[in-house]
Amino acid sequence: MHTNRRNFLKLSATAAVATAFGGLGLGCTPKADIVDRAAAMDPKWSKQTTTICCYCAVGCGLVVNTSLKTNRAINVEGDPDHPINEGALCAKGASIWQLAENDRRPDSVLYRAPYSNKFTKVSLEWALDKIARNVKQTRDEGFTRINAKGQTVNRVDNIASLGSAALDNEECWAFQTMLRSLGLVYIEHQARI
Amino acid sequence: MTNHWIDLKNSDCILIMGSNAAENHPISFKWVTKAQEQGATLIHVDPRFTRTSAKANMYAGIRSGADIAVLGGMIKYILDNDLIFKEYVVDYTNASFIIGDNYTFEDGIFAGFDPATKTYDKSKWAFALDENGVPKKDTTLKDPKCVYQMLKKHYERYSLDKVVAISGMKHDDLVKLYETYAATGTRDKAGTIMYAMGWTQHTVGVQNIRSMAMIQLLLGNIGVAGGGVNALRGESNVQGSTDHCLLYHILPGYLSTPKAAQPTFEKYNTDNTPVSHDPMSANWWQNFPKYSASLLKAMWMDDDPAVSYNYLPRLDSGSAAEYSWLTLFDKMDKGQFKGLFAWGMNPACSGANANKNRQALGKLDWLVNVNIFPNETGWFWEGPDMDPSKIKTEVFFLPCAVSIEKEGSVSNSGRWMQWRYKGPDAPHGFKPDGDLMYELMHKIQKLYTAEGGVYPEPITRLSWDTIATNGVFDPHKTAKLINGYFLKDTEIKGKVYKKGEQVPSFAFLQADGSTCSGNWLYCNSYTEKGNMAARRSLAQTPEQEKIGLFPNFSWCWPVNRRILYNRASVDLQGKPWNPEKPVIAWEGPDKKWVGDVPDGGWAPGSKHAFIMRKHGFGQLYGPGRNDGPLPEYYEPLECPVKTHPFSGTLHNPTALSYINEDKAVCDPRYPFVGTTYRVTEHWQTGVMTRNEPWLLEAEPQVFVEMSEELAELRGFENGEKVIVESLRGAIWAKAIVTKRIKPFEIQGTVVHQIGLPWHFGWSWPKDGGDSANILTPSVGDPNTGIPETKAFMVNVRKA
Amino acid sequence: MSKTFFIDLTKCTACRGCQVACKQWKKLPAEHTENWGSHQNPKDLSGKTLKVVRFTEVETDGNLQWLFFPEQCRHCVEPPCLDAMTVPGSIMHDPETGAVVYTNLTAKEADKEAFGMSCPYNIPRINEETGMVVKCDMCNDRVKMGMLPACVQTCPTGCMNFGDRDDMLSLADERLAKAQERFPDAELIDADSVRVIYLVQTNADSYYEYLSADASSIRKGPMSRKQFLAKLASPIKRMNS
Repeated sequence: MHTNRRNFLKLSATAAVATAFGGLGLGCTPKADIVDRAAAMDPKWSKQTTTICCYCAVGCGLVVNTSLKTNRAINVEGDPDHPINEGALCAKGASIWQLAENDRRPDSVLYRAPYSNKFTKVSLEWALDKIARNVKQTRDEGFTRINAKGQTVNRVDNIASLGSAALDNEECWAFQTMLRSLGLVYIEHQARI
Repeated sequence: MTNHWIDLKNSDCILIMGSNAAENHPISFKWVTKAQEQGATLIHVDPRFTRTSAKANMYAGIRSGADIAVLGGMIKYILDNDLIFKEYVVDYTNASFIIGDNYTFEDGIFAGFDPATKTYDKSKWAFALDENGVPKKDTTLKDPKCVYQMLKKHYERYSLDKVVAISGMKHDDLVKLYETYAATGTRDKAGTIMYAMGWTQHTVGVQNIRSMAMIQLLLGNIGVAGGGVNALRGESNVQGSTDHCLLYHILPGYLSTPKAAQPTFEKYNTDNTPVSHDPMSANWWQNFPKYSASLLKAMWMDDDPAVSYNYLPRLDSGSAAEYSWLTLFDKMDKGQFKGLFAWGMNPACSGANANKNRQALGKLDWLVNVNIFPNETGWFWEGPDMDPSKIKTEVFFLPCAVSIEKEGSVSNSGRWMQWRYKGPDAPHGFKPDGDLMYELMHKIQKLYTAEGGVYPEPITRLSWDTIATNGVFDPHKTAKLINGYFLKDTEIKGKVYKKGEQVPSFAFLQADGSTCSGNWLYCNSYTEKGNMAARRSLAQTPEQEKIGLFPNFSWCWPVNRRILYNRASVDLQGKPWNPEKPVIAWEGPDKKWVGDVPDGGWAPGSKHAFIMRKHGFGQLYGPGRNDGPLPEYYEPLECPVKTHPFSGTLHNPTALSYINEDKAVCDPRYPFVGTTYRVTEHWQTGVMTRNEPWLLEAEPQVFVEMSEELAELRGFENGEKVIVESLRGAIWAKAIVTKRIKPFEIQGTVVHQIGLPWHFGWSWPKDGGDSANILTPSVGDPNTGIPETKAFMVNVRKA
Repeated sequence: MSKTFFIDLTKCTACRGCQVACKQWKKLPAEHTENWGSHQNPKDLSGKTLKVVRFTEVETDGNLQWLFFPEQCRHCVEPPCLDAMTVPGSIMHDPETGAVVYTNLTAKEADKEAFGMSCPYNIPRINEETGMVVKCDMCNDRVKMGMLPACVQTCPTGCMNFGDRDDMLSLADERLAKAQERFPDAELIDADSVRVIYLVQTNADSYYEYLSADASSIRKGPMSRKQFLAKLASPIKRMNS
């Protein structure tokens, strides 16, 4: 989504002037890494989307520039048109680009077998099939139809769920729907602690 | 928050207590600073002098856990000096209500206590009712049994000297705090409170907040611009995840979870629908059956709610001691659970008593961990003191997209639901969480359809494709379902709404199954006008601009009302107490409400202001809580004193705890008060921020902050690696020896306070240290079950 | 119109948004750090860190102040570091914005230490990997496009400000008057000679020894920082404030 920011998109005419300085580099990174960061903000090079910070609950707006060539983020900064933060971000908010562009992110779904000392890479499909099977087996084995007082309770007392305030609203709703239709009652998340 | 972030600028006095807003909600200081520029006073009360204190006009130190002493003292100060906003107190609070004859309070214990179960019979605290079942009132506030007089009596013990003696706050600071804050009890002044986990994470957490809510009611600060009771929530969508109720005790929209004693939908609705006999009470929860039926229709669209009610699991009780976090881990440790989803959470570091929790994970058969990065939960089996060859737990780690790589909404602390757009693609084809849960549940449904199983109907009949398009999770479709739509042509007040049309707002929801709505509070967020959360207009009327309401930017629950309880911002004629900063006003030739969306459109004075309360009044006296109708001082379950000055009852008698787990009370091995907190540069257990090099660079290692006096006592140098230990465990931390922490004098004895952040974990970085939750105890608030991680006893020694 | 920063330290909360936003825009690498008994990290400016927030605790008569100082190049009106340049083009002084920009030609300088020695604020650092002398460049690329420097845009409280020099000078005067109501010792630092004007709430040396300097006293011709520091003791030090 394109936004109507005051100072962000005034690019075309001044871009060439900026390049004269911007292209020089600062000497903090090897020469090969030097790019004209300002020019890369041009809609010809990157799309702009708005988002909301994923950290605390102030709800600051951000603008994300994503390279049209690589589909990866190239810049994330405060949204000047957002009435709460007016372009400002704290250290965490200002770092969000590094959350996405981060080589600590595992490159695969992982599975650890019982008593194993390592994770192995598996496909998502394989993992979801196996989790679905586990859920069914555990639920079917331990389902509580009637409680100690003889009341009908129809619940699962042997599976619990923790999470998450890190999910979007739509995901939270879907998640609670999934868990409750399975019969889980031990459902907790960050708000409890 | 009853109010919202921008509204902070409207305040005349901002009290930050139980929070370190400058560090943990840094952008709030845009608006706090603006208030200060306009003359507001900023007060910070905290065990430590922090970045918040550095900007405050006044800082007052307090020992961790002594908040109710200070707040109870403030209530006494306000009452003794008659500083209440009388008109507000009489018209909008239950100050005039007469308390029933069964109520007693003796030596720290309220009427109805059963020591065997550690619970109260709350019926003993009920109001006296007239012949119509409406609470009796004395609006002169003179009846000795009225709430106002009972408050006076209850808090007469909270003298300045006693408060000073137990809290460690300096006498002059205490008086200045009371004078400054109580000065907001006039029509044209507003005081606000910014609090966070510094208040909730105590065995008296709920009563900490109630104390302040009572002060706000006494001073007429709720409902007004620059006022309110503002919980600063710590995660981008912890408001939304709470609204959608990923919690044992509630279903979306704060509907109570079904109990075993509610075998039918009718009984469930009856139990949860309050009845008021006062025609002036809006008693909004009388609409409960409309919301519950619409929720059930959103989940099981093809079934009648009376049938699908049976698909929901029923709990034996609503007790935190039975189902909440701490007990969940206690039961896991005892082997009750075979499976666990740790979805977007790192409980191996986030919960109190982390070593216990980590051990408990090894008792599972399987664990599903969804996260962005490797973390101490998914990798628990290779953590400290773990032998993988002895741990059977099967672990699935599912990596997911980060926030900028997916689309959907989050709700901030001010209840603004804000839409996020997808920017870059996630690497390696990773999917958003929504896709993962959609696909998983779809597979489970297929298994039950193909093979059958125990009680398959709730699963096989679930309307799961209502949240997907062409087999892919669709956040827009889900958001529309959460808002709700008509399931058949329905006529309401002469207008016909077509099947499939979005429900305009929750006032249109139906109890007969003709509407669905995944969450009534969000009904009005995605209407025929479109996705309200995605709105970006900064347009405001001149009235709205005065207080920075921004009603056309994003959307806010309920029904885009930006300031809750706003009927209390005007007098009974609809005139704002402070015309300079009006929230709503009853105006114009045709007399209508202008400004914010009012708490109900009724004419002023025709309905009591607090529409969500059964009787319609703000609750100075709150007979619904598990630990008493009035906040009372108790020490944390681990504390440095044997007695306190207010009663002979040392601890909250109803607090959640586990009998086989010892607590350090005046234990010479653990002489110092410990507390945990966060820093700007990290977030929660640090899984995301420890993996961001720019943030790790700024705060690379776990530290423990202590006074120069304590460092001298222990012979520590600044920056030295030291050991912090409690009854639960020990961790190393870098000592930050600082002038910003001072020893407290508590009842004539010097008590040292230390504090440390809980952002670290053994898995990354390798030299970062481990979680401060290894130190914290499994004890909690009796209402919420929230662990007491803000006050516990520790020792520090040389490494 | 030339540009100027005005940095009102009475409003800095040390959220360190600026410290990170600088690295984000420029994609500067993080350093490996350790906690050294302070929240300040990295400890100092470096070849990878062009903006750092310094934390200092000061207690006088029981009155505790925690002072925060987001440090960066001052973009001097008459930059003394130009005197250290021996390779033409290793420093560019943008006539339009006033930015003092070190280029990759600094790698060819024989005496890189001279840059640091010439600076009254001890700002320039050498990047070991590239051999270049580095410091803040005013986000000249952003400024040329009408954007704010990354650190200014990210600042929540109005501590960091940036704009046309005249506007910043009047804002500084206005804020100084306001600040003095609460902090009688508040003053502006070296306002006439730099393009990064700090407003301090207490004496500048309490924040950091190099917060203030008398840049205007540096004239054309070599002057080591040692010599320069000797002058700091002179009573005219604050003549510009």
